[in-house]
Amino acid sequence: MTWTIVVGVKQVPDAKEVGIDPDTGRLDRANAPAVMNPPDRHALEAALSIKDVVDARVVAITMGPPMATPVLEEAVAMGCDDAVLITDRAFAGSDTWPTSLTLASAADTLGADVVVCGEETTDSSTGQVPPGIAAHNGWAQLTYVEDLEPRPDEDRLVAVRDVEGGYERVAAELPVVVAVAYGEFDPRPAGLHRKLYAENDFEPIEWTAADLGIEDEVGLDVSPTSVGGMETVDPVDRRGEVVDDVDELASRLAEVIA
Amino acid sequence: MSASDDANDTNDTNDTNGADDAGGIDLEAYADVWVFVEVHDGDVMAVSWELLEEGKKLTAKTGEDLVALVIGEDLDAVVREALERGADRVLVADDPVFEPYRADPYGAQFRAMVEERKPSIVLIGGTHTGRDFAGRVAVPTHAGLTADVTEIDVDDDGLLQARRPAFGGDILATILCEEHRPQMATVRPGVFEPGEPDLDGDFATVDEAITAVDVVVDESETISEVLERNVGDTTDITEADRIVAVGAGIEGDLEPAIDLAEALGAELVASRAAVDEGWVDGSRQVGQTGKTVRPELYVALGISGAIQHVEGMNKSGTVIAINTDPNAPIFEHADYGIVGDFADVCPRLAKSLRERDLAEVMP
Repeated sequence: MTWTIVVGVKQVPDAKEVGIDPDTGRLDRANAPAVMNPPDRHALEAALSIKDVVDARVVAITMGPPMATPVLEEAVAMGCDDAVLITDRAFAGSDTWPTSLTLASAADTLGADVVVCGEETTDSSTGQVPPGIAAHNGWAQLTYVEDLEPRPDEDRLVAVRDVEGGYERVAAELPVVVAVAYGEFDPRPAGLHRKLYAENDFEPIEWTAADLGIEDEVGLDVSPTSVGGMETVDPVDRRGEVVDDVDELASRLAEVIA
Repeated sequence: MSASDDANDTNDTNDTNGADDAGGIDLEAYADVWVFVEVHDGDVMAVSWELLEEGKKLTAKTGEDLVALVIGEDLDAVVREALERGADRVLVADDPVFEPYRADPYGAQFRAMVEERKPSIVLIGGTHTGRDFAGRVAVPTHAGLTADVTEIDVDDDGLLQARRPAFGGDILATILCEEHRPQMATVRPGVFEPGEPDLDGDFATVDEAITAVDVVVDESETISEVLERNVGDTTDITEADRIVAVGAGIEGDLEPAIDLAEALGAELVASRAAVDEGWVDGSRQVGQTGKTVRPELYVALGISGAIQHVEGMNKSGTVIAINTDPNAPIFEHADYGIVGDFADVCPRLAKSLRERDLAEVMP
């Protein structure tokens, strides 16, 4: 059997380039270049590593505006067989509930056996979407995954999961949603030919909310959570005293622990 | 079942609750603050007691009950401790299917309890376990779920104000869940202080306070299997009074840091960069994607002071920074600092501290 592996990727503002607006003192994300969510590269590598040992088709999906297409091109350049852009104004204001519903619906439509995501996104960092996809579809889930052993003869995927104070190996029945621990699965470089193909000839499949039959189930209205306010965090007041001499530092330390 | 079917089911459930507000549910039908008590092999994760203490403050305002949820196997001691630590009631799901932890049985059990008993607020520790199953409760019940909360409060109407750091920690966003219930949150470990158990309390009514709930999960229906579990070093860095932290700047040279930690009687922790390099175990990571610590003393070695790291340590008492770069942001977040190579400074510092200890002990 050929496995269908779906990888969720997202375009986010480059965290390294997010600056402070000098006029308002607020974060200026608008001017930060858009990049692929860094943990998603590890998810792509994890998906492609399954394909290295199992007969599989790997499809990248993203939910976002048409200008998010470059993240799909990157995924295809890395080795994904195809990619889907899920784009619709109806998605505006979606929190993690409709977002995970949308991705769950797309994964179901694609006939996914395995869905792979990064641990979290660097812009909203909730980590809720991968378990949300699994919950919407009633599928198994494996989060904080550090290593994968596909077992196609058992229709199961075995993962090494990071748990507090150690690790565990868990087998999950297909279909299964995997969230890869950030930093695991060193991403492979894109080959030149794949890169040229992705940038010049490749066109993603485009789906709207109606294509997935979920047009009444997405957007602000069905999102259970809303942002009630934002405040900048005042830095903790510290002395900021730099000393020249190790003995002097030792004296300060000794005062604290006395 | 397809995703869209699942979503429709959720709405049908909401409609049958007979509500007329915009969200389609009867908000008045929901009451009480629930705290999930996370247990592995009989050991309770410290964050559970931190949340129970914080939950007391919420119920003091709402006048509702504080309810502890205990899921696992052989839980009598944990149930007793939950009462000693201030739970008004305890709901217990005690069955071998829950040990060791798996997302699907936990999610199904917790969901059944929520749907039957309708809590207004549900607090879950932001551990790997809590973050793993919370969505399996929130999604099918269409509850609001806020991740990685660091401040919680309720307004006069009992609406949960869940605050969480956003955009790398520079901003605190308040997340509300106005038209759905329950209002769920995963809360960062180490942010709140646990209370003291009342060991002399009168728990004569203890039997009435404990409810053994129906276990709705059967092993034959589970879709995952734990093949191996290897948990050794479970040192909880959030409990440490003194901490030595290492970052990318140590370049894998742990010895001087360990030496200093021993001289101070401190726990060794690390920034994400040092954990990603494999120098220190992930359970000892401090920062936005790791743990929040609040020691009396925090010594940062070769840590630049990225906001994501500072967020996890800025509740520390006194912060000391050792870094070769005089412009490193960590110096702005430190009380005392020295510009220098940690490999050179640490041994001298350790020696100096050991000499001082001797001087204090000797007559």
